[in-house]
Amino acid sequence: MSLDSVPTNTHGNLDEEISQLMQCKPLSEQEVRALCEKAKEILMDESNVQPVKSPVTICGDIHGQFHDLAELFRIGGKCPDTNYLFMGDYVDRGYYSVETVTLLVALKVRYPQRITILRGNHESRQITQVYGFYDECLRKYGNANVWKTFTDLFDYFPLTALVESEIFCLHGGLSPSIETLDNIRNFDRVQEVPHEGPMCDLLWSDPDDRCGWGISPRGAGYTFGQDISEQFNHTNNLKLIARAHQLVMEGYNWGHEQKVVTIFSAPNYCYRCGNMASILEVDDCKEHTFIQFEPAPRRGEPDVTRRTPDYFL
Amino acid sequence: MSTMEEPLYPIAVLIDELKNDDIQLRLNSIRRLSTIARALGEERTRKELIPFLSENNDDDDEALLALAEELGVFIPYVGGVEYAHVLLPPLETLCTVEETCVRDKAVESLCRIGSQMRETDLVDWFIPLVKRLAAGEWFTSRVSACGIFHIAYPSAPDMLKTELRSIYSRLCQDDMPMVRRSAASNLGKFAATVESVHLNADILSIFEDLTQDDQDSVRLLAVEVCAALGKLLEPQDCVAHILPVIVNFSQDKSWRVRYMVANQLYELCEAVRPEATRMDLVPAYVRLLRDNEAEVRIAAAGKVTKFCRILSPEHAIQHILPCVKELSSDSSQHVRSALASVIMGMAPVLGKDATIEQLLPIFLSLLKDEFPDVRLNIISKLDQVNQVIGIDLLSQSLLPAIVELAEDRHWRVRLAIIEYIPLLASQLGVGFFDDKLGALCMQWLQDKVYSIRDAAANNLKRLAEEFGPEWAMQHIIPQVLEMSTNPHYLYRMTILHAVSLLAPVMGSEITCSKLLPVVVNASKDRVSNIKFNVAKVLQSIVPIVDQSVAEKTIRPCLVELSEDPDVDVRFFANQALQTIDSVMVS
Repeated sequence: MSLDSVPTNTHGNLDEEISQLMQCKPLSEQEVRALCEKAKEILMDESNVQPVKSPVTICGDIHGQFHDLAELFRIGGKCPDTNYLFMGDYVDRGYYSVETVTLLVALKVRYPQRITILRGNHESRQITQVYGFYDECLRKYGNANVWKTFTDLFDYFPLTALVESEIFCLHGGLSPSIETLDNIRNFDRVQEVPHEGPMCDLLWSDPDDRCGWGISPRGAGYTFGQDISEQFNHTNNLKLIARAHQLVMEGYNWGHEQKVVTIFSAPNYCYRCGNMASILEVDDCKEHTFIQFEPAPRRGEPDVTRRTPDYFL
Repeated sequence: MSTMEEPLYPIAVLIDELKNDDIQLRLNSIRRLSTIARALGEERTRKELIPFLSENNDDDDEALLALAEELGVFIPYVGGVEYAHVLLPPLETLCTVEETCVRDKAVESLCRIGSQMRETDLVDWFIPLVKRLAAGEWFTSRVSACGIFHIAYPSAPDMLKTELRSIYSRLCQDDMPMVRRSAASNLGKFAATVESVHLNADILSIFEDLTQDDQDSVRLLAVEVCAALGKLLEPQDCVAHILPVIVNFSQDKSWRVRYMVANQLYELCEAVRPEATRMDLVPAYVRLLRDNEAEVRIAAAGKVTKFCRILSPEHAIQHILPCVKELSSDSSQHVRSALASVIMGMAPVLGKDATIEQLLPIFLSLLKDEFPDVRLNIISKLDQVNQVIGIDLLSQSLLPAIVELAEDRHWRVRLAIIEYIPLLASQLGVGFFDDKLGALCMQWLQDKVYSIRDAAANNLKRLAEEFGPEWAMQHIIPQVLEMSTNPHYLYRMTILHAVSLLAPVMGSEITCSKLLPVVVNASKDRVSNIKFNVAKVLQSIVPIVDQSVAEKTIRPCLVELSEDPDVDVRFFANQALQTIDSVMVS
């Protein structure tokens, strides 16, 4: 193995960009383009089932809630000191999709070994045009170039990750057309999220109390029962499926007799759901710790719940 | 001043683009209006550009807003102050548009221009403009008119002054509430320019009309005028005219008006002179503290300390304190939170005895409030009480509650407690601290939340500074080092961080004998994150230790890390090696 001495100041610019983003200040269009170029090089080499080592902290949906992402780092620790695995849905709904996704991509470029960012169903051209990211880019940059740059990059995001060969992490859930992890490894992910098929299912499916496969009320993906999870975990020698995609009031929620866990990291989702958020720390002894957290106190933004007078309730 | 340095062609483009269909291009041109003006020269700007802009008033609001702003700084481009009046017509048109923010900007620009114009020009051009706007058929122009009277009035001859006052009075009785609101919110500014003879005669009657307006949105703007007028009037007039209005407002049937009074009562009190009359406002304030609407109580509760400061301690204890007691168990958490954010400041006002007897029980009950913001607000201001009743009493009565909060389930409450610890430690002294708080400080190092662990490490450093290295050697270092083998990497990382903070306080010898071995040992950790933090800690220790130690112990360790398979470990190790090299050179 050749160990070239690492030049120490090549990251100067990127370090500055990261500290700018940490203050919720977006980068310029040119900076975003350069950043995404570099990110593409890194993500291209990652697998559809990207292997991840413990210790790592696993996180769910963020949805543009930048201040809550900052809170997440206050709770879980800063990157790169803490390793992170994000399971998609960085954009849409919240007010700061641009800052949120730029920060995560910048961290990925600066510390590729310390952070893994998977693709969620919102990391797609179609969905972002409906749920806010497109409009936000237009508002913040005056044109759609940044949206185009990011959605082109999303095609390269890995679909799933595998922590220490035992925790299978992905945004949505299982697919009737996938039996083994090798099935996933084998298809070409670099494309817009299709309307159906295995790649779509991984980003859209949900676990369900009913056995077997069911039709998803979302109109994409499937619902899958405990029998499916058990079979999949058994076939692939897994202990747990960790996924995001669904709002859960406590921030995390066990299902299928602890074969599946849902993790959601956007507290008070859409600034109104009143839910807790959580992250899952898998430490170096592979012990699991969930940490729940509440929305960050916001300066400047009006406190919506506070001012609702009694007579409106 | 106008030179043709910039090429003609882009100017032509800019002028063209003032008429372009694309709003972005039009905006771009408007933003560079000064460039166009410089290219045209002063005369053509006056004769061609300004008239063109005056006609062009059915554009998008965004373009109009930009135009209104640019015109405000346009005097230099039309030939200086003597020609300033040519800017009035386009702004006059902008004062009449539908969109409020365009009108507001136009009024702002008019004020800016008017305040630079020569007195004769004001009479010839500006005052007629005020009169035209005030007589405008559509309410928008009358709304705008109210905002420029204070610029026009001082330069007007006596006859015109009388006329302006009566016009303003008419605006205050306008049929449209929007106009009356504008008149109310600008009355303070206007009144400040009016001679005191006329204040009593004209302005006060205008004001009294507004205070009895049937729209609460007008009345609540009149509340602010109370403070402005109070400062202008003679004390006896203030008592006669302003005080009764405030008292009335505090019982207004609209809670929004009462809310305004509660929010501004302190400013109103300051305005009302002489001070003795402030006592007259106490019943009004007490009523607001007991208002039916939580919003009003929130506003009133937040002013409790400020209000008590302008009363004598006896009066505060007699009248305000009973209300404070009630508020501390108010049914609204936001009222309790507002109270908790200011109540600590009452201690110095009330003095030691009253604080101990009356306030301490309230603090204790708020410290146990179910709503975390309430607890947090109390803890973060404990030092104010400290100064009044002394640390002994405070620790006796409050320490149990503080210890309980050290394990509060809200991490920001725990954080507030940690940040209070160094102060507490310095005042309690070593002995007491060891007994009660030492264990807590160690426990925080293993908190689930990163920010708490981080704060805990900082806290140890501050304690070591307070009590000295010898004490730290006994009470901090062994316990900290024991935790360096915690099975969870993030907790080991906290220990490394604590070591790097403690090293400079402990000095070279202890760092080399006790701390450095632990750090070097951690360089063989199974987790890369620990290893690159070892590199960072070693980098920070280099300046503290002897060169020989740096060479014999630190450098070999870093060299090994610089060959680690992990890219981040190599990066931070190389960075630390560069530091050693530069220290060695110097």
